[in-house]
Amino acid sequence: MSRQERMMRQLSSMKFAAWELHIFLDTHPGNCEAAKKLEEYRKKISELTREYEEAFGPIHETHNDTSRWAWISGPWPWENEEDDD
Amino acid sequence: MFVYEKRLQYPIKIKNPNPALAKLIISQYGGPHGEIGASLRYLSQRYSMPYPELKAILTDIGTEELGHLEMVGAIVYQLTRNVSPEDIKKAGWDAYFIDHTTGVYPVAASGTPFSADGLAVTGDPIADLNENLAAEQKARLTYDNILRYADDPDVRDPIKFLREREIVHYQRFGEGLRILTDKLDSRNFYAFNPSFDKAKKAKGN
Repeated sequence: MSRQERMMRQLSSMKFAAWELHIFLDTHPGNCEAAKKLEEYRKKISELTREYEEAFGPIHETHNDTSRWAWISGPWPWENEEDDD
Repeated sequence: MFVYEKRLQYPIKIKNPNPALAKLIISQYGGPHGEIGASLRYLSQRYSMPYPELKAILTDIGTEELGHLEMVGAIVYQLTRNVSPEDIKKAGWDAYFIDHTTGVYPVAASGTPFSADGLAVTGDPIADLNENLAAEQKARLTYDNILRYADDPDVRDPIKFLREREIVHYQRFGEGLRILTDKLDSRNFYAFNPSFDKAKKAKGN
């Protein structure tokens, strides 16, 4: 597994945990414990996202680096890196 | 509005193409219990839904389903890459190939193109939430059926993830239904079309 893949997996697992808490809070809006955990994950996510985007290009359209139009560079999420197109 | 995040919700990296398996899995792209139907069902039901919790859960689950649509599309795409016309014919993927080549088109495994018939948007919150509970179970059982035929771990892994999401969504919709029934007027406990009638009452007719 490449460094990019490993970092993306780490980020995805954090984002998944945050998303689970997010939809849990939709039906349990008063649950402080879940809100606190969500806050913790969000902090880690923003650090990891910055690290990932600096190394491998944007995940979000709001990504700061417009020095080159990196948004178009592959692989796109549905692609296998081994494929050469 | 919606903004794209350039990643899959769960990684998909399939080494071996298998159009015969794609033929089954594509049902979760455009079939009666598939992800596009789920997404459009929830995002369309939001407008007539009362209570902030319910509007939020329909918006968020409807959005997550779009991410699942992308995942199923990625599975179908990777399963049908780099295959010869002979292999396509052998796999029974040839009829699809004639119309769509290697494009990913929303159809059911049985060949019927995606139909909004399966959406069920009634404008009645009780009917809609019960519909969604059933829809999540139908999607879950379709993934169970796919797992009966898929032996490639590269495919089984993301399919198992998607199956588990149906179970979590079922749970969240169940809580939504409980929030709704808890708030029903005790004199109108067997309420029909409560949001429509409430709006009429507020206007004074």
